[in-house]
Amino acid sequence: MTDETFFSRVRVDAAPLRYEPDPFAMARIRAGVRERILRPTVAQLLARWFRPIAATLGIIAIAAGISIATIDSNDNGSMGDSSVEIVMAGDSYSVGQ
Amino acid sequence: MESERELVEHAQAGDTGAFDALVSLYSKRVLSIAWGIVRNAIDAEELAQEAFVKAYQNIARFRSGEPFGPWIFRITTNLALDVLKHRRRVKHEELTEREPAMRRDRADLPAIANEIARRIGGAIDELPEMQRVVAQLHLIEQFEHREIASMTGLSEGTVRSHLSLARAKLREKLADLYGDGDD
Repeated sequence: MTDETFFSRVRVDAAPLRYEPDPFAMARIRAGVRERILRPTVAQLLARWFRPIAATLGIIAIAAGISIATIDSNDNGSMGDSSVEIVMAGDSYSVGQ
Repeated sequence: MESERELVEHAQAGDTGAFDALVSLYSKRVLSIAWGIVRNAIDAEELAQEAFVKAYQNIARFRSGEPFGPWIFRITTNLALDVLKHRRRVKHEELTEREPAMRRDRADLPAIANEIARRIGGAIDELPEMQRVVAQLHLIEQFEHREIASMTGLSEGTVRSHLSLARAKLREKLADLYGDGDD
């Protein structure tokens, strides 16, 4: 028998040696793969945590900016209003805060 | 029903359902290859899962139009060979029993066919590691030299050399079954 014939015959006779998994093995593999590919990655988890925090900080920063601007404009307005005009000897003087 | 090519393209676009269909198509063969190399049902199942997850993570790099099978088989074989390497490092082989006994006789075959298969399996199990892996892929999983070379990362010449050594040993061990006068 040649080497090739020997291997050809062994290949035929070895067919029953192919692994026959239990009936639930395929289902377990599918479920495991599905669970793992749908599971969020670390980057996605971090993004999930940081997105609302970043949004909150953004809103706080905008609110603070608006508040400072409003206070500044109020301050400027009140300076004009609070100036006092003093008249002395026919001359008038304006004294601001 | 979608073709394999369409399934791959949909999976590349992020369709997990399409990838699930690819898992269904290939899980049995992948599991068989993994078991043939690591010889342990639990390890083989984990390895099959790992191979598919790795494939999914790298699916964008997969060239559309090529067959999915050889790619997933290559990933599986590489992971399985890594397991063997790891076992060698931690001397795990002595602790984890190979599972020739897990092979169940096929009820649809005559007892003599099962007995011959058992003899062949036993002889393959006794081969040195890489000869065993290559012989397993060639004789049981029915892959050709070129496919085995692609799956294992060995050159085709090395695969032929492993098979040649394996053949000589198997001929010796199975001489009573396949003697020269048996032709």
